[in-house]
Amino acid sequence: MSHIVFLALVGNPPIRANLCVPVNPLITILENGQPCLRRSNHLLQLFPGLLRTQTKNESPALFHEETLTHYKSEVLARGFKEIVSDLRRQHYDTWDWYTLAKRADAFMIRQQETDELLAVEYLKERWKQVGVVPYQHQLQTARRVVFEMQGQAILADEVGLGKTIEAGLILKEYLLRGLVKKVLILAPASLLWQWYHELYEKFGINTGIQRSEWDWTYSDILIASLDTAKREPHASTIGSIPYDLLIIDEAHKLKNSSTVSYRFVNAIQKKYCLMLTATPVQNDLKELYNLIGLIKPGQLGSYRSFKERFIQDKRTPKNPHELKGLLSQIMIRNRRDEGTIQFTKRIVHPIVISMTPKEQELYNRVTQFVRARSQQTGMQNILPLITLQREVCSTFLATALTLEKMMLNMEFQQMEQVADLLKELADVKQNSKCDALERLVGEMHDKIIIFTEYKASQEYIRYRLERAGYKTLAFDGTLSRGKKQWIRHMFQKEAQILVSTESGGEGLNFQFCNQIVNFDLPWNPMRLEQRIGRVHRLGQARDVHIFNLITKDTIEEHIMYLLHQKINMFETIIGELDTILLHLNLGKSFESEIMEIFLAHDEQEKIREKLDRFGERFIKGQDEVRTSAWELF
Amino acid sequence: MQQMVFDFFKLCNVEPVEIRKGVWQVQADDALMKELDGWRAQGRLLQFTFDQRLAELYGADLICRGSYRLNSILRVIRQQGTLSQAHIPHHFFHEPSIRKKILGSFAATERAYVVNCSLLYSPYLELTILVEARGLQKKESLHTVVVDLSSGNVLKFAFPYHLLKSEGVPKDALCKRKCSLKQAFRSATAHLNNLIAQTDTSWAHEARHKVNIEEEKLKDFFQGQVDSDEFRAKQEELHQRIGPVLRMDALRGAMLSVPLFKYRLVVVGSTGKEKTKNVMYDPIGNLYSQDLDQVPSDTPDRPGTHDQD
Repeated sequence: MSHIVFLALVGNPPIRANLCVPVNPLITILENGQPCLRRSNHLLQLFPGLLRTQTKNESPALFHEETLTHYKSEVLARGFKEIVSDLRRQHYDTWDWYTLAKRADAFMIRQQETDELLAVEYLKERWKQVGVVPYQHQLQTARRVVFEMQGQAILADEVGLGKTIEAGLILKEYLLRGLVKKVLILAPASLLWQWYHELYEKFGINTGIQRSEWDWTYSDILIASLDTAKREPHASTIGSIPYDLLIIDEAHKLKNSSTVSYRFVNAIQKKYCLMLTATPVQNDLKELYNLIGLIKPGQLGSYRSFKERFIQDKRTPKNPHELKGLLSQIMIRNRRDEGTIQFTKRIVHPIVISMTPKEQELYNRVTQFVRARSQQTGMQNILPLITLQREVCSTFLATALTLEKMMLNMEFQQMEQVADLLKELADVKQNSKCDALERLVGEMHDKIIIFTEYKASQEYIRYRLERAGYKTLAFDGTLSRGKKQWIRHMFQKEAQILVSTESGGEGLNFQFCNQIVNFDLPWNPMRLEQRIGRVHRLGQARDVHIFNLITKDTIEEHIMYLLHQKINMFETIIGELDTILLHLNLGKSFESEIMEIFLAHDEQEKIREKLDRFGERFIKGQDEVRTSAWELF
Repeated sequence: MQQMVFDFFKLCNVEPVEIRKGVWQVQADDALMKELDGWRAQGRLLQFTFDQRLAELYGADLICRGSYRLNSILRVIRQQGTLSQAHIPHHFFHEPSIRKKILGSFAATERAYVVNCSLLYSPYLELTILVEARGLQKKESLHTVVVDLSSGNVLKFAFPYHLLKSEGVPKDALCKRKCSLKQAFRSATAHLNNLIAQTDTSWAHEARHKVNIEEEKLKDFFQGQVDSDEFRAKQEELHQRIGPVLRMDALRGAMLSVPLFKYRLVVVGSTGKEKTKNVMYDPIGNLYSQDLDQVPSDTPDRPGTHDQD
């Protein structure tokens, strides 16, 4: 009887008076007369906390907690409080909104019932807009970290395989699944903006960059420099915050367990932790043990047992298969040679330029000046001389500016000599390199990035190209982030030529361009790789053409010989450059090493022979780095 | 999903018009666009489609799993409807039959007469509770529990939602609830706890097993120094990460008013002695009780006056 519906009316009339009429949630009029939804996102955006009483970073208050046989049961008070609060205020939504909201809840939960990455679905549109194509190894890595490793991993891909993308993907996945809220990203200071930009552009994640003490508490997803974070009073504040996810870029800096950085990171309360490094082992297997100890202490046992079981000598492991098995539970390393990515080719076009006799004479005079000066000042103050020697291969304008600066610290006699040089530099009206550049640009019809080391050269190149009728844009380290983005956009949409200094291009990618011109060559392979890396990276669909302008019978010829013919820097990607340089244990910079060779010998053959030996050392170091401990991953 | 989107626009008082096959358009005003796209957005003609090809062809907003537009709509919808109310009208039940059933329930030696009949409502609380089972992975499920606020009991059978009419009932027709909202919530979560404990707990077993293994490794790493602060901190992190936890949170609630038929009877026994009796009949639970001296409340039943919610 009770479940049978009789539609016939009973004797008593139906109740109709005094019904509680619900408020239509759509029609709430603001003070300014604007209508908005009663539970308005708009209002929440303008006045956070207007309708929700919960403050940021407040852990969910528990209504009830109970430890049962198999699990702990937690009942949160948040949702219930909101219902009761509405009930007290008699704020009822219409039944239609209520049922629709319930359907939306069910829909959201159905969406999350998947063993696939939610982030991929959610980011499809964005990736299409910004031109990101996720690679299979990146998706696979994110899947493994989320579903198998419970958010604890060392992402140790070789350079250029997209560790940041992997970390961003994992972060996005955790955010979508509601598993993380409070996130800290620790990176070197120079990479903070790059992280900020990448997370926003590619993943739609709004982050903050740490600037004040307050940021630690009030920013949910914060990017900060490790060096700042480890200092007081920051370290204490961070230590008191429980983080859901900690991401550490360039994690090899934490290889030594006795450092402040290591102890600081170890003390951070974290649920999930990702460490990004291309070089988890540099010199010693203990570094690897330390790194893993930060993420998952006990994975490799105590240090004593690890040493007994797995270390033969510093770089050679015992029981490599067993160790490999243990490492694979915590570390993911994708390599280039595993067919993970098909990079496009790098095609090198060396363009040798003969200087005019006048230019050659001036070059020789500046070189003599550098040699003489190095003998006077010794090798301690070699940096300005290196700069001068490099500038003279670029433009005389850059050379003149440096000479002017040097004059300030000189005695009178030397000043006279420099003044003569400056006078002669001013007399040179021709620049063979720029003439060649003009001709080269005339033959190219696609977008071009011209790299130079010096701002003076950059200005001179722009002047020459503009005079020849080309539209150019300039990019340098002094530009603000916003201006850089704008110029990048202009270059993509409007201009053909971008003249950039290296610092200007840092952190920005130009995959839409496939031609670069090295107006002058950096002496350090790392810097060269950074230049090429702006265009030759994930997402580049075309072969990359690299045009190197080399002045004949100058030091540039030797540099080109070393970097191109000996090390083959241009055509292959040397993944672990920083590790190799570290492994070479030069004791000085790469540039200083070359300069010393150059200053120590007059004859070209002798210089070539020394550079040959240096190149061989580099290649040997490269082989050593790639063997032994590396075989573990 | 499509129906949900159309229903959303309908509730926002905008009517989607199909301007091309598979492409719809709505005139979204400032208020709606601000809800969807943030405070900077302005009213515009919003075109949307559920087909990726058409979205690319006509530049309409794509509504599909994971798309920005769908997420913005879902976000707005889920923000609404935290609390609602509905009732089942009395006229859905045939009162004469109920009266007959009640009068027929007395012994053959007794005679009963109806002095008067009142139509009241009994309060029920429906709670939509999100249950997260967190172990090695997180699994979410949505449960709807209805609690009878007159008795504090969780309804064990399916509530007849199809009989519900939106809107509440007059306060003076609503019986006072005897169970506080807190108690009701507690009953609902206890009911869910039992339900889940009786079904699948393999997720918890797996997580517990993993926690035990990891704890052993941790002890090995700390070489037995289990009293150190560092060990405890790492242990806490481990439990935070993979310790099995069942977490419940109420997403939304509704006050449901179900009909109660209250009869005041005069019962004449075999000796001829008259007695007055009150009989209440709840047609939803098919429950009736005698001698319940329950009268409609004279004062308005202010929610929250019975408990410290």
